[in-house]
Parts: sequence; C-alpha cells; structure tokens
Amino acid sequence: MTDKPSSAYPVSWYQFTEHPESDSCWSLSVGPDGRIYAAACAEGSPGKSVKLVRYNEKTDALDYLFPLDQMVDDPADSGRATQCKIHYSFVPSMHDGVLYMATHLSGPPIDLPAYSPWGMWHDKERCFRGSALLAFDTRTDQVLWWDTMIPKEGCRCLLHDEERGLLYSLSYPRDHFFIYDIAKRKFRDVGRIGSVNAQALFLDRRHRVLTSNDDGRIVRYDPDKDRLETSPYILPHDPTYQTGWHSVLYDVAPSPDGECVYASTWIANPRLMRIWPNEGEWGRVEDLGPTTQPRDLTLPLSTFVDHCGGLVFGGDGYLYYCASRWKEGQTDESPRDLGKGSINMWGIVHRLNPATLEREEVFELKRPGQAAQYVSRAAIDHNGDLFFAHVGPRPVGIFRVAMPADRKKPNAHLPIRMWG
Amino acid sequence: MKSVKKPLDWHDPEVRALHDKIVHGSFINEGMMVAFPMCFPGVTVPIIADESRITALDATREGVIYGGTSGKRVHLFVGMFRADMGAVHDMGVVDGAEQCVAASCGPAGFAAFVNGPGGARIVIRELQRMPFSLIQEWGFTRKPFRYSAVPAGGERIIHAATDPSGRRAFATTLKHLLAVEIETGAVEVVGELRGMGRLAVDARGAVLGFDEGDTLWRFDPAAKKLDRRAIALPDGDWAHAPKVWARRRGPGLLYTADGKGDIFALDEEGRFSGPLCRATLTPVGPMAVTHDGRVFGFCGDEISRMFCYDPDAGKVTDIGAAVSVIQRRRYGYVFGDAVVGRDGEIVFGEDDDSGHLWLYFPRIVEKTAKPARP
Repeated sequence: MTDKPSSAYPVSWYQFTEHPESDSCWSLSVGPDGRIYAAACAEGSPGKSVKLVRYNEKTDALDYLFPLDQMVDDPADSGRATQCKIHYSFVPSMHDGVLYMATHLSGPPIDLPAYSPWGMWHDKERCFRGSALLAFDTRTDQVLWWDTMIPKEGCRCLLHDEERGLLYSLSYPRDHFFIYDIAKRKFRDVGRIGSVNAQALFLDRRHRVLTSNDDGRIVRYDPDKDRLETSPYILPHDPTYQTGWHSVLYDVAPSPDGECVYASTWIANPRLMRIWPNEGEWGRVEDLGPTTQPRDLTLPLSTFVDHCGGLVFGGDGYLYYCASRWKEGQTDESPRDLGKGSINMWGIVHRLNPATLEREEVFELKRPGQAAQYVSRAAIDHNGDLFFAHVGPRPVGIFRVAMPADRKKPNAHLPIRMWG
Repeated sequence: MKSVKKPLDWHDPEVRALHDKIVHGSFINEGMMVAFPMCFPGVTVPIIADESRITALDATREGVIYGGTSGKRVHLFVGMFRADMGAVHDMGVVDGAEQCVAASCGPAGFAAFVNGPGGARIVIRELQRMPFSLIQEWGFTRKPFRYSAVPAGGERIIHAATDPSGRRAFATTLKHLLAVEIETGAVEVVGELRGMGRLAVDARGAVLGFDEGDTLWRFDPAAKKLDRRAIALPDGDWAHAPKVWARRRGPGLLYTADGKGDIFALDEEGRFSGPLCRATLTPVGPMAVTHDGRVFGFCGDEISRMFCYDPDAGKVTDIGAAVSVIQRRRYGYVFGDAVVGRDGEIVFGEDDDSGHLWLYFPRIVEKTAKPARP
C-alpha cells in the first residue's frame, strides 16, 4: 500500500533533441561531481556517434558536451563500425573528479545498413577499431586522455576499483574479461566467459569482481588467484520453463551500507534478487521473485517489452527500479519502433523496502506520446533526485523524478556506485 | 584518421538484402555445427573453464573421440556420441601438466602427450569401455593413468601422431624423435632432430615432420631410418607456416598450408602439388579431410572462420564463423585440433575457456537424378 500518490513524484522528460538519431540511452550515471551524465547512443543509424550529455540543474535542461568519435580520433564517417554508444560504462574516480567512459560497438559503418563484428572481424576497413576509454575531468570539463581499452571489441560494462587503480570490463562479442591498469595505461585479457554478455560487474569487499555467465552462474575474478571462477549455483530464474540460460546479471545496485547488492536479470520475467557477496565461499543469494507480469509462455515476447532495469537507491534508503508492464497481446518484432504511436506498454517504478522486502508501485515514467517501458539504468544525483535512462523511438532521452522532500537528502549519491 | 565513406542510400532496394546478408551471413552458411559441453549433460559438471581448452584430439576406428585439454590443468577425456551415448567423460586430471599437445588412440589403449613445469610425460590408459546406456542408467569409474617418462629429463614434447596400425605413436620433442608403444607406454628414442610443428603419418606409415631449410624429414618405422631433409617443400611462405596437417583415412593425400594460407598436397611418393587454393584467412589452423575428400578447417585469429577446400571443384569456400544453436547456444572462436568421426563428420576441439567439442556435419551435395530406365 503506497503512502504517497504518484503525483508526489513529478516526472520530467528530457529528449535528446540535439541528437535526432539517438535510439538508446544505455549509460546513465552520477558523476564524481554529483551531476547526472547520460549517453545519447545511436546504434541503429549508419555513421553516427554517441554524444555525452549532462543534466544542468541550473537551466533544467541537457548540456551536450561532445560527440565521442571526435574525442577519440575515430570519426563516425570513417567507413568503420562507429563509436556509437557507451554501454553501462560510466565509472567515477572520486579522488580526482574524473568520469571514465568506454565506448561500445554495433553502429553500422556510414555506407552499410548493418555491422557484424563476427563477419567483419578480419576486415581492416570495416572492423570496429576498439572500445575507446576516455578520461573526462568533471572539474574542468576537459578530456584528459583516451586510449583503446579493448581492441576490435566493444565494452559491454565497466567497473572501477579505485583503491587499486584498475578498470574491469566485459568485451563484446567475445565475452572476454579485461583488466585495464590506469597508471600504466595497459590492458590485459584474462579470458573468455561465454557467449551472452552479462550487463553488469560488481565488486565485493575483498576486491573480487563478480559477474555472470551464459548459464546464469556467478563468475568471479579473484585478484589474489588471478583467475575466473564459477559459482556452483545458478541465479534465480523461473524453473517452470527456464534453465538459467541467459539469466545473466542485467543491472546491479549496491546497498548504501555496502553489504549487499540488488540485481535484476536479463531474461523474460526478469528476476529481482539480493546478493550478499561477502558471506561464505560463494555469497548468499535471495530470490526476490519476478518483476514483470505473467505472460503467454508459448510466445517469446520481445526482450524490449518484458524488462526490468534502472535499479537505484533513493535518499530514503529504499530501492527503486523500473519494471515494464504491457497490454495483454502486445507483440512486436521491431524493438526500435516499440511504443511508437500507441501506448500499450508502460515503465512502472517500484519502491522496495530493504528491511521488509515489501514493494509498491510508486509512479509511471511518462514519455509524451510514446511508451516508455524500457529503462536501462537509473542514478541519483547529489540533490537526491532520481534519473532514468530510456531506450525507445528516436530521439530518446532521460527522465528526471523530483523526489518528495522526505525521500531525498543532500549528497544522496554517496557512497557512489563504482560500476556502470 | 580521415573520413573516407559517403552516407548510405536507404532508398536503394538492395539495402535490406545487404542488411540480412551482413547480419546472418557471418556464421556457418552450410552444414551444421553442434557444440557439445565437456560433461555428461545433466549428470556431471563441465570441466572447469580455464582447464578446458581443447588442444589434442584423436578418434578410434569406431569413432569414439579421445583428447586432452590445456590451461591451468590438463584433463584427458573421451567423447561418446554414438547410439544412446551423448556424453564427454572426464577421465581425470594429469597432475602437474598444463598442456596436452597430442592424443593417440590405439585398438585398446590411449596415449596423451603432455607438458608441464616439471617436464613432459606420456600418459597411458586403456580405452574407455562404452557404457550400457546414457539415457537409462550408467556407471563410470576413473581408471588410473600410467606415466612414461620422456627422455632427456622430460624434454618438452612438440607433437605426436599415430601410425596406421594404431599400435605406436611417434612424438617429437625439442631435440628428439620418439616411438611410443600405446598399449605399454614403452618409449624409444629413434632419432635426433628439432621438433617443429605438427607431425603427419602417411598412408604407408612413414612419419613426416618439418625440417630445417624448408624441407620435411621422413622416418621409416619399419627400417627405423630417419632421413633428414628428405622432401623439399614447394615454393611458399614456410617461415610463417602454421605447420599443420590433414590426412584422409586410408590411402590419400596429406594437406598442409604455408604462411600465406596456400594449401598444398603431398602424395605417398613424396611429391607435392599446389598451391591448390588459398584459405580465406591466415593463419590456417586445425583441418581434417572427410570421407569424400573435402578438407575442412579453420583459419584466422581470434574469431576464426571455417573454410572448405573441395579438390573435385578445385576451389576453396568460406563457410563462416562457428555457431551452435542445437541445444547449446554458443559462438566458437578458436580451435586447437580436428579429427574425423565415423561417418565423416568433423570434430573440432575448441581451444578456449569453457571449450566444447564441436561436431560439424558437412552439407551433403545433392545428386543429380538419373533418368528412369526405359
């Protein structure tokens, strides 16, 4: 039972109007400066670049900082696969105010309708140059440096272990686990995990990095062993029709006390769970159940319809996340056009009490004239307001939710999330 | 970097077809690949990811697959895909080994050639008895390995190959040529040479290996005679050659490739022909010859692609990147060895973390219908 009406959470929509081809916002994070950064990605249009965007609270508008292709000397019209997006790959560096970001692939070369990293791997003119790691100084708004972090592949997700000066990432398409040493500016390929990228990495107290594999098992990199290990168990899934395959981690939010994380999976009826990584040999996982509605199990519903993302802790210490809802019978084969013209799907934000695990629906993310069922990431700014990233009809954008006064606090973004 | 390309014309009617070709045409475009995990699915767990890079394979005459892995540890395994089997049995870990360079199957025994920090060894085991059924009920044991020392203090093994009888294998080390009795594990030094690349055994039982000066050495087991620089390699880029071989079972040609991907054939008289064709990428990796004489192999680094050389058509075809969608959904990127199964299917060992055995069933060429008899 909610104690506040949805009107207590005014939602504002900020469209990427200065990037008309933007079709996805995969990365949205709070920077080390407490401000919100978003990636206006263009993966569906040939020859386009991702643009870095920041919410300006003084003007209540978006500032367009720069297109990434120009900053990393890889122009979008080069004929190569483009630096089209940043995919769960903003990470802060608190000691120096730097926001690291790593690019991802799949945007077609300017003169081709599609790009295949498998088919064009050996094509010197077409192959993606590699994930570019860029260091952006949020104190001066200067790009300090960039480097190719993963040659020929994109970065699916990124994590920063600031104490050790290391960036961890998963590559696409080969699903390799990479370590980048910031001081040495050197990368190292630790090995392959599988075929289906997990969409998130997270860190435990012992500086171990956790993610998942194709079968829905936790994969953990232990720096002391320099080895990837696999959990004996499979993450929560629906045993009536799922095996764990593709139940990879989608979004992971750290609890403010740092003792556990909350996560959703990237599969039909995404599962919500709480993971205590520091307990026992392989941590403890609590299944918090499905996040979306029952569906016709004879039909593989679009992963862009049946989805849960945008996990973030509010200033009130509650977990907020966005789960999709759809009208019965909703089908579509074209994810980019989902929700265009008719609104049969909705993005519903839930609020979960970590003490009782009770959850409630608190508001809907309303995009004018379009459905907004797909939210990739969420973040909280230094004022305690929430922001949600959207993937949908172009140009996409982000939502800002002005949180009720009793549910926000100054510097609510701290301790900051160290992964994308 | 300069801008070089002009925008795409989306009104071009061929754009959609090109889109589909790019997206779907990257993968295996003829035949079928099935990736089989390194376990008895549903009954055992797969070999640990970084211990399962498959680098050595051989097959018994009945088509049972034996092999070894490389990585943090070496596992020896048997793959059973006939009748109501369908399992990979992990026969055990070879303690102290990190690399398995070759596997050899005899009529009753199996040998694996492994390297490790403590030196090289030859591991001997009898063949696995086929279980009653792997759908109904089963039982397995792990029989102990026997080990044979490698001369010269466990000198690193480069490769090994099985003779046509299956009773013996021949192995090269850094400085020696060895003969190994597969059943007993008895090792004899039969020559001195610098092992380079993979070995081949021709249909007459002669052992061949790459020698200095762009030549092959030849060892006649019957006469116990080693001829250095016995066969001159044809013109080609042998300095960068991957030093791989493929041979059709029974009488037939041996195939190898140079550093440019050119494929050459060697007949039983020691005569080379070629280059017959050029593989689509370099380096050429593991390849095998199926029963109808077609050569299938992988080429290219990191994300390798399968090629087919058809000697009847005299041409090479790009088959595409490996992907499995039957039961196991997986991309295949790098492969360490190849062997032909009983019915001409090719079994590739995936030299990658969480390696799988990849069974490739080549496309059957449609026969032209014969006119009906009057």
